[in-house]
Amino acid sequence: MDNSMDNMLDMYLFETNSLLEQLDSILLNAEKSKVFTVDDVNEIFRIMHTIKGSSAMMEFSSLMKIAHKTEDLFFIIRDKGVETFDSVCSEEDHHELFNLVFDAIDFMRSEIEKIENDEPLTDNIDNELQKIKDFIDKIIVHLGGTTESDNSEETEKSDKDACKNLPDNSPYFIKIFFDEGCGMENLRAFMFITSVRDICENFTFYPTDIEINSETAQEIIDNGFFVGFKTKDDVDKSVALLKNQSNIYTYEVIENNNPKVESNDNVDEVTVETQKTVKKQTSSSAAATSSSSNHSSQNKQSLISVNLSKLDNLMAIVGEIVITESMVTSCPELAGLKLDNFTKSARQLRKLTDELQDITMSIRMVPISGVFQKMNRIVRDMGQKLNKDVELVLVGEDTEVDKAIVDCIGDPIMHIVRNSMDHGIEETVEERIHNGKDPKGRITLKAEHTGSEVIISITDDGKGMDHNAILSKAARNGILTKPESEYTKKEILNLTLVPGFSTNETVTEFSGRGVGMDVVKKNIEQVGGVVSISSELGEGTCTTLKIPLTMAIVDGMEIAVGNSIFTIPIHNIRQSFKISASEIIHNVDNSEVIKRMDEFYPVFRLYELYGLETDITNIEDGIIIWVESGDKSYCLFVDELLGGQQVVVKPLPTYLNDFNIKDSGIAGCTILGDGNISIILDVANLYLKAQNIY
Amino acid sequence: MSNNINISDSNQDQTNELVQNDNIKKFLTFISDKLTFGIDASYVTEIIINHNITFLPIVPYYIKGIINLRGQIIPIIDIRLKMGKEEYIREDGSNCIIVLNIDSTMLGIMVDTVNQVLDVDTKKISPPTVNNCVELVNGMITINDNSTVLILDCNAIKKI
Repeated sequence: MDNSMDNMLDMYLFETNSLLEQLDSILLNAEKSKVFTVDDVNEIFRIMHTIKGSSAMMEFSSLMKIAHKTEDLFFIIRDKGVETFDSVCSEEDHHELFNLVFDAIDFMRSEIEKIENDEPLTDNIDNELQKIKDFIDKIIVHLGGTTESDNSEETEKSDKDACKNLPDNSPYFIKIFFDEGCGMENLRAFMFITSVRDICENFTFYPTDIEINSETAQEIIDNGFFVGFKTKDDVDKSVALLKNQSNIYTYEVIENNNPKVESNDNVDEVTVETQKTVKKQTSSSAAATSSSSNHSSQNKQSLISVNLSKLDNLMAIVGEIVITESMVTSCPELAGLKLDNFTKSARQLRKLTDELQDITMSIRMVPISGVFQKMNRIVRDMGQKLNKDVELVLVGEDTEVDKAIVDCIGDPIMHIVRNSMDHGIEETVEERIHNGKDPKGRITLKAEHTGSEVIISITDDGKGMDHNAILSKAARNGILTKPESEYTKKEILNLTLVPGFSTNETVTEFSGRGVGMDVVKKNIEQVGGVVSISSELGEGTCTTLKIPLTMAIVDGMEIAVGNSIFTIPIHNIRQSFKISASEIIHNVDNSEVIKRMDEFYPVFRLYELYGLETDITNIEDGIIIWVESGDKSYCLFVDELLGGQQVVVKPLPTYLNDFNIKDSGIAGCTILGDGNISIILDVANLYLKAQNIY
Repeated sequence: MSNNINISDSNQDQTNELVQNDNIKKFLTFISDKLTFGIDASYVTEIIINHNITFLPIVPYYIKGIINLRGQIIPIIDIRLKMGKEEYIREDGSNCIIVLNIDSTMLGIMVDTVNQVLDVDTKKISPPTVNNCVELVNGMITINDNSTVLILDCNAIKKI
C-alpha cells in the first residue's frame, strides 16, 4: 500500500514538474510574440486543470488552490475570446499577466520542492490567491464585466451555433438524455466524452464546457447532450460504448442532412472560424492521446519514464555481458582448437552484444534541450530585474548526452548564464550603443558533438573580462602563485576558476556570493569535463565546457606497469613514443623533463608514483605516454602499451573512499576480458599527486 | 580458477533445533596466526579460495587490493597485516577470503583457514580484556573443546 502511494507520488511529481516546464516554455514563447494564441490558452488551461485535479487527489491543497485560481483566470480569457483579450488589454496588463502566471509557476515549483523534501506545505496562500483574484477582477472590468454565454459563443464557438438543433456541421450526431434526477449530468457526459476519445479523435460535443461549468447540467437535462461525428463508423462504435454506460435514459442517432450546413462546410473552409475549429480539434485530440504532446519545436520527449536506477542496473548488466562474452570467446582453453561453428556463433554473439550495448547507451541519452530551456526563464527574470534587454539564442539543443551528465551540468550552465547576465552584458543600452553594439544583448548557448565529447559553449557579447582587473583582484585575494608579470592571458582567465575568486566587487542577488566559477569547475570535473574561458575586453566572454558523452563507457588504452594493468582514457592521450636516454633533461631537483614540440614537459614514472615493483626502470626500455587534461600536460613513463579497448567504468568500493584514492589519480576501475581488474587513471588528479611527490 | 563455498546451505539443517533461544547466534570461526576468531555468520556471504587479487596503489598496506567477484568490485583486507602481524604466505601462493556484507558494505577479509560454524550463546560472550591492544575484537568466548574464540567486531572492520 505504502509502495503504491510512493509510486503515485513519484508519478505526480514527475508529471507536475514536466507540466510546469511545458507551461514555462509556452509562456516564454507567448511573451516573446506578445500575444496568446488560442492554442496557448487552451494548453495552459488544460495544464492547470490537470495540476488542479492531481493535486486535489494527492491532497496538496495549496497547489490545488493556486492551480484552480489560475485555471479560473484562463477560463475567463478563453471564455471571452483570446483576440478580445489581446485587443482590450493594455501592454501593462499583459505584462502583469505574465508575471502573475510566472509567479504562480514559481510558487507551485517551490511547493513541489517541499513535497520532494518531505517538508510541510505553505498553509497561508491568501496573498497569492488575492493577487490572481485582483487581476481577474481587473480584466473582467476591461472586458465588459458580463459573463453572458451568448457573448462568448459568438467570439469563439460560433461554429457550434450554426444550427440550434444540431450544434455543428458534423454529418452524424448522437443526442443523449440521462436518467432523470441522476445528478451531475455534465460530469457524466464528460465521462462519456473521455471514453469516446479512446476510440476516435475527430468528434465534437455540445455543450462544450461540461467539464468545468456545472450550469451545463441543466442545459443537458433540457436539450440533451450532443456528440457530433464525422463518420458512420465512429457513431457505431460510440453507440456500443454508450450501451455500457449507466444512467443513460435514451439516445438517438441523427443524420445531419441539412444541405445548408453541407454547403456551409465548403464556405467555412476559407473562414477563420473553421480554421479555429480544426485547430481546436487537433489540440484537443493531442490532449486526449497524452503521449502525443511532443511539441516538435521544443524537443520534449514525454514517451516513457523509467527510474534511472533501473537503467543503471541495465547498463551494469550489459557491461557484464560484454565482458563475459569476451571471457567465453577468448577462453584460453579454446586456443589452438579449430571450431568453425563456435567461431561463427561467437561472432554473431559479439555482434548482438555490441548492438545491445549501443541500444542501452542510447536509452540513457536525453537531449540537452531541457537544461537549455530553463535558461530562457533565467534570462527573462534577470533581464527584468536588472533592466537589461537580452536575447537568448539556443543552438544544437537536440544534442544528446547521458542523463547523469544532463543532471550535473544544469547548475553550472545556470551559473555561467547568470554571470553573463549580471557581469557580462553592459549595464545600460547607451553603453552598448556607444561601443557600436546591437542595443539588445545576446547570450548564445550552443551544444555540439565531437567524437566522444559534447562541447557546450556559453557566449555573451558583453563587455568581456578585464585581464588587469582580474590579476589585481587575484593578487589582493592572495591566490597568485607566481609573479604577476609571468601570467599568460589564458592563465589569467583561469584564475577566475580558482576558489575564493569573484570578480564583482559587490554581492548581488544573482551572483557574486563567493561561490563562483570554482564550483562550476568542480561540478564539471566531476563528470570528467573541462572548463575553459576565453574573453576579450569589450567583445564578450565565451565559456566552453567539454564533457565526455557518457561516464559509463570509456575508450581506454591499457598499459602495464609491473604486474598491474592501468587504463588511461584515450581522449587524454596526445602521443606515445620511445625516447633515448640522452633526450631526458634533468632539472635542478633531479626531476626529469623532456622537450616535445618546443615545449618542456615533466616526466613522471608511474611505478615511482604508485610504489609498484617493475623490472623496467631504464627509460629506454619502457614507453613514454604524453597525456593532457585541461591545462595540465605531462608525460608518464610506463612499461608497455597493451592496446586500446572500450571499458565499462566501475566506481571503486565506497569503503576505499577514506584513502583519498580519487585525489591520487584513480578514477575507478574496470573489468577486463579475462576477469582481471584494470585501474582507470585520472590524468588531471594524477598530476597533482605527482606534484606532491616530486 | 576459484572455488566458492556457500555458507548458508551448510548451516541450514542445524537451525531448527535452536530456534527457541534468541541468544543463540551462529558464528563462523577461522584461524589467523594460530588464534581462533569468530565472526557473526549473518554478515558472511561466502568464502572464496584462490581468487586473483588486483593490487591497488596508495591504500594502506593491510588492504591487499580489490577482487572482481562476479562483476562486483570488493576490497580485500588482510586480517594479519591489520593486526600488525606477519603476512601469511602459503607455499602454493593460494589464499582464503571470507566475503562479508556489513550493512551493505561489501568487503573481504583474508584469513589463514576457515574452521567451522558454531552456535554461540551471545550471553556467554565476555568483554575483551582491558588492555586489549587489538581494536578489532569486541568479545571472547570459551567453546566446548575448551579453546577460546575471539569475536571479531564487524563494525570496527567497516570503519577502518
